[in-house]
Amino acid sequence: MNIEIATYLLYLSITIALTIWVAHTLHKNGRIFLVDVFHGNEPLADSVNHLLVVGFYLINLGYVSLALKLGYNLATPKEGIEALSVKVGTVLLVLGGMHFFNLFIFSRMRRRATMRNAPPPVYPDAFTPVEEV
Amino acid sequence: MSRLTLLYDPSCGLCRRVQGWLAEQPKLVELRMIPIKTKAARKRFPKLNHELTAEDLTAISDQGAVYFGPKAWLMVLWCLSRYREWSYRLAAPELLPTTRRVVSLVSQHRYQISHAAGLSR
Repeated sequence: MNIEIATYLLYLSITIALTIWVAHTLHKNGRIFLVDVFHGNEPLADSVNHLLVVGFYLINLGYVSLALKLGYNLATPKEGIEALSVKVGTVLLVLGGMHFFNLFIFSRMRRRATMRNAPPPVYPDAFTPVEEV
Repeated sequence: MSRLTLLYDPSCGLCRRVQGWLAEQPKLVELRMIPIKTKAARKRFPKLNHELTAEDLTAISDQGAVYFGPKAWLMVLWCLSRYREWSYRLAAPELLPTTRRVVSLVSQHRYQISHAAGLSR
């Protein structure tokens, strides 16, 4: 097995493991947010949670496979490790960005849901009887 | 609150334009518009001082809470799904004086603004 193949295999195993770990964290901790957003409707929260995680997997694994190609030859194991580090670092940044984007979506959904039942922003100036017509 | 009634001035072009815009907005609370000083307005709110409603926008909840001028505009924002957050921002103590000033200025000059913008009939 030459250095390139070893680097590719290491790259794939590290990034796929990282993606699974981040998706798992998102799935486990995002559920509580979603249950709150959907007013305790757990089946709906689980469904939305699952759909979000599927999207997360698709985008990340898609990026991982697109970014696999190195484009140059590796002469020494040192170069192999450097190339691996750059690739894994980029994938980590993309994962981080995706993760914060998901958090942003969760918090926005939650804020929207709490807004729905929020009281008026100001007190009335007066009261008047209303005749229903 | 399930509905907010707005008493608006139908002779002002700007108000008619705003009314058209409001009709298209997604709402959290239903908005109902009644032209000021009409039979319908007097019948629905028999004890209200209807002369005052000509000066600025008046909003009245179905429980009879009256919001006048800048407060009425904040209540309109509060009824709209997209702008509820803005109603809180503009009603915050730091911004409320500015909100009052701007809204009063626009209301007082609504005929001039309508004319300048080519909205008057």
